[in-house]
Amino acid sequence: MRGHFRKAVLLAAVLTAACAQTERPSTTGRPPTPWVSHAIPEAKGEVKILPDGKKVHVRYKGWTTEDFSQFRTYAYDDMRPAPPVSKAPMPPVTGDPKAGRKLFLARAKGPCTGCHLIPGDDVWPAGNVGPDLSTYGDRKLPDEYVFTQVYDSRKFFPNTTMPPWGTAGILTPEEIVHIVAFLQTLKGPVAPEKDPNRNPDTRAKPVGFGDNLDPTNNPAVVLAEGAMSLWSKKGPTGKACADCHGGGPEKSMKGVATRYPRYVTAFQRVMSIEDFLTVHAPATTGLGMLAQSDDNLHMTVLIKMQSNGMPVSVDVSSPEARAAFERGRASYFKKVGQRSHACADCHTKGAGQGAEKFLGGRLLGDAETGFTKHFPLWRTSQAAVWDMRRRMQWCMTPLGMNMLPADAVEYAELELFLTAFDNGQPMSVPGIRH
Amino acid sequence: MPEIGTVRIRIPSRIRRGDVVRVRCLVIHPMEIVQRDKAGKPIEKNYHFINKVIMTYNAREVLQAETTQSMSENPFFSFAFKATEAGMLKITFLDTHGGKYEGTAEIKFS
Repeated sequence: MRGHFRKAVLLAAVLTAACAQTERPSTTGRPPTPWVSHAIPEAKGEVKILPDGKKVHVRYKGWTTEDFSQFRTYAYDDMRPAPPVSKAPMPPVTGDPKAGRKLFLARAKGPCTGCHLIPGDDVWPAGNVGPDLSTYGDRKLPDEYVFTQVYDSRKFFPNTTMPPWGTAGILTPEEIVHIVAFLQTLKGPVAPEKDPNRNPDTRAKPVGFGDNLDPTNNPAVVLAEGAMSLWSKKGPTGKACADCHGGGPEKSMKGVATRYPRYVTAFQRVMSIEDFLTVHAPATTGLGMLAQSDDNLHMTVLIKMQSNGMPVSVDVSSPEARAAFERGRASYFKKVGQRSHACADCHTKGAGQGAEKFLGGRLLGDAETGFTKHFPLWRTSQAAVWDMRRRMQWCMTPLGMNMLPADAVEYAELELFLTAFDNGQPMSVPGIRH
Repeated sequence: MPEIGTVRIRIPSRIRRGDVVRVRCLVIHPMEIVQRDKAGKPIEKNYHFINKVIMTYNAREVLQAETTQSMSENPFFSFAFKATEAGMLKITFLDTHGGKYEGTAEIKFS
């Protein structure tokens, strides 16, 4: 009897192990050895130790250098689990609604107003990803409940998009007590809105910047046309792009970009045009074309422009591409960083999800409408050409997370997942966005 | 990367004699903005920005504008003029470092 039981336990253990084995993500289509980044130093996502022993994360000029090594990223070798749900007792301090309001608006903390609307002309610009809290106090919720909701909302809503402010250490328990005291003072009726743009529900949506392919409207077009000199520039091997790709980019590159990102057999990984140029240019012309360098970006725009108007048609059916697509999908839904956010939190439609709602003053895009067909684009607020990778790296920085190298396989597969939504839609590169 | 001073001009594809033509142009230029020291005082130096725009038509000056640092990087200009004769439109940008950048567009009547 006892022997049978033991056997059963052993069998169960073996079965569980087998199941765990099959549940591990497929590695089909992933490079056999770790990918060596060919990116400019700012785009490599490296951690540097300063002479005074302080650790900093190397990012682009003007970006934060804060090191978020302790929080998990999209890296496939990062097996750390999401931070566990935690609860803290309410500290015995008296909440100060005034201090709470200040914390609610503090940009260095949340700001809570990025997602939640409260009354006040100084609340600018508020978002509407989360519920409107203008009359939250009328709900007469117990303080303890509201405290836990802010401390770690996952306690009540396991799939919430709200960051666990307390668990992540962004807000201290004392600070949360003040915020709770403030929220309890929010009672209706709310005065009628003076400015429709203050309320994200009635705010005008951005209308864009006109014709993105007009060179007098979009500087990226002019920059890409400048890459024509690079196209015919002879490298150390005595060869130029033009020597192998006859007929100029307009002929030789027509329709090429519609198939990227794709699984490239020669390099055994998924690559975007940018990734491919980093290794293809040195191998042929001998010229370096590091990811995120001006040469790489402008050449990418020049190549992609030749496919403008043609429908995007990336392959997600070959075994390698399919596996990569699935890994990209897993990344899209993976909760990462200090704030424990997933891409899906902001870019998927639904209650409590961000797509087509305002995060502060920014209107969040819906991934299902297709994000990539106008990338690389000109960013009017940055006065620079940004490709999908830099956009991803930027997205991840305020989430409290270290970035991966711009040409990382993880990003390429996430990009493939996103580009699959663009399939069938006409390309229009370079775009122009704020 | 195009050098500073790449000029792009865009005019309507069909122009008839006597039409008011809207000219759009863009120049690649850093348009350096004023820098301040730690105390918030502007740093004195010869900032690099476009300070004059001259537009001529068949060598006749049509427009002259004095510009400042308040304009954006890679500035865009748009203006209209009446084309009574066919000819060559020339736009010249002058900057504070002695740079002179020119762009031309031919106006033909259809």
